[in-house]
Parts: sequence; C-alpha cells; structure tokens
Amino acid sequence: MREREIREGHGSMVSRISRFISDFDNLVPAYALMIACVALIGLLTLPLLTYEPDQIYPKTLNPSSPLNPYDRGGAPFTAAEVHAQYPENAPYIGYVTGYLTPLSRFFAATTQYMGTTIVAHPGGIIDEILYYTRGLDTIVETSILFVAFAVASFLYRRREE
Amino acid sequence: MFDLPIEGPALFSIPFGDIVDYASPYTLILFLFAALFTALAILSRPEQHADIIFGEDGVYTGRIPGPENRFQRFMAIACGLAAMGATVSGDIFNFCIFTSMVGLTCIGIVASSGNRHVLNAAFEYGIVTMIAMIPLFGGAAIVAATTGTLSIWELAGGAIAVPFVAKAFLVLGVMGEGMAPFYVAKAEITRAQGAPYILMIHVSSLLIFLRIIEIIITI
Repeated sequence: MREREIREGHGSMVSRISRFISDFDNLVPAYALMIACVALIGLLTLPLLTYEPDQIYPKTLNPSSPLNPYDRGGAPFTAAEVHAQYPENAPYIGYVTGYLTPLSRFFAATTQYMGTTIVAHPGGIIDEILYYTRGLDTIVETSILFVAFAVASFLYRRREE
Repeated sequence: MFDLPIEGPALFSIPFGDIVDYASPYTLILFLFAALFTALAILSRPEQHADIIFGEDGVYTGRIPGPENRFQRFMAIACGLAAMGATVSGDIFNFCIFTSMVGLTCIGIVASSGNRHVLNAAFEYGIVTMIAMIPLFGGAAIVAATTGTLSIWELAGGAIAVPFVAKAFLVLGVMGEGMAPFYVAKAEITRAQGAPYILMIHVSSLLIFLRIIEIIITI
C-alpha cells in the first residue's frame, strides 16, 4: 500500500504536483515560489514602468512650515488647493485640512519642530485625504485593527480554559 | 456611470468621497451572495457533527461549547461584511483593504477551532495570509504610481495602461488572502466544526477572487 502511494506520487507531472501541494506544510513554500516568480517578472519589466507625474494625491514638502512633514497647505476658514478624484462628492474640500485647535495653533506659532506632535494629538491636523475624500479607507483600516485585536484576545484568553 | 462589456451597465453608485462604490449586474450578484450568507451566519444555529464508527452501529453526536461558537459567529459576520464591501468597492486600494480584512477574519474563524490538526493547518494558512498583504498592497501601490489614480472608473476602458506586474501582484495577493486555489489547506480547515461559519471562508474567498478577476479584466 505504501509503495503504491509513492509510485502514484511519482507518475505524471500533474500527480507529482498534486502530491506536493496536498501536504499543507508545503503551502508556504509554494506560495513563496509564486511570489518570487512574479517578483522576478516585475524586476525584469521594471524599465518599462514609468512614474506618472500627474498623481491625484500629490505630496510636497515645505521645510519652512511649522507643520513640516504633514503640511497639506491652507489656513483656517479658507479653502486650500486639494485634489480629489471626484470633487462633486466632496463639497467642503480644502476647508478640512486648514483646521487647527487653539493648542495646535499655539504650537505651530511657537516652534518649528512640533509637526509630529501636532499631527499626533487629538484635533491636530485633520488630513483631508485620510479623513475626508478617502475616509472609508480609514474606517475599514480601523475595523481591521479591531478584528486583529479580537482574534488576539480570543487566542490569549483561551489558554486559561 | 459606465457601460462595459464585462461589467455591464452601472445600476447605481454610492459615493464616499473619492471612493465610489458601484453596483453593476455582476457586482450586485456577488454582493447579494455575500449578504445572503451573512444573513445565514446571523440566523442559523451551528450544526452538530456526528461521529460514525465504521463496522459498528455507534453514532456519537458532538456538542460544540458556547463561547467558542459565539466568537466564530462574530468572525463569520465580520467576514461577510468585509466580503460585501469588497464586492462593490469601486477603488483598488479600498478593495485591497476589504480583502485583507476578509483574510484576517478567516484566520479568526479557523483559530476558534480546538482541533490540533486544524490549528496546524490554520497556522500555515495564517502565514500565507500575512505574506499575501505584501503583493496585494504592492500591486495597488504600483497601480497608483504608474497611472496616478486608484479609481476603477478612471482606469476602466483601457485608456490608461495598467502594467502586467501590478495585475499579477493583485491576483497573487487575493489568492493568498482568500486561499482561492489552495483548497488543499482548506480541506484541513473544514475538519473544524461549525458548518455555517466555516462556509463563510469559502464563500468570501470565492467572491473576492471573482471580483479581482473582474477588476483586472476591466482595468
């Protein structure tokens, strides 16, 4: 019986492949091999890929701004220049990013080096793209985090039972 | 609104800013399937499995403990919601996020099994799901970099060329997330108890795979 099984697995190409993938320990190597093949194709065709300069979400750095790495432009109560794929779906575009709480305005007026602190504290820079034009993405990302914590806490708690 | 040979006419769309979810006959059918199975996961009671001893007349009915089941049901509903989001998403990055949520909830469904053999298979499956996020989001990033946009409506029709590598990475990522071709590993997973919830893994992976094929043909 055992010998017959081994012979079956070394027959045609198809049966050899199916024998290989029937063991779930070989799953990760098989998947890694597929990724490696596609990545190789990607590396070979890399010269054909061109960067499109006309991006919908352009990013520019202005080192002289107090909000430096996160500055999307715009002053409070005036519309900033923000691109959107469908501007008709975003009537308040440009107004969101300029909003700063009094505390963050104080930080921004006082020092040049608090950009990350301003963006990280509540009511800091509200990124137009993250929270307005592409807000659904942010919601789903948070849901993913919630699911991941739910799974982790379930597995952790199960040990005790 | 558009009318394409594969996609059919767009029936209606729900705008979320730049992300416009749309329903064409194709995506609407996928969405309804996901909704149906989510409703089944909410309404149905878990099945009780029977162990039959061969050569004898013995039949044992297994009882599944409660809390384990509640978690599995919660994950199945989350998986169904993520699959519903992925099937009607009109944005490649948004689709990728929903897809990775499907992968994560699938891990949750199998992880709630107590069977050692199932958990061993689930571990390998989880590794593939985690790795698959790299080609998935890599593909979306290549699309954004080479075309400048992520909206499927903008990319549809072949006016903007999406490179082959990006499409291949997207398909590979969805394959890893949903384990669509790797039914071998899933056969091990389905030994876990709790039929309506375990089914959600198959349904969601099938739906997101059908959707990504439609997307790469459209763009």
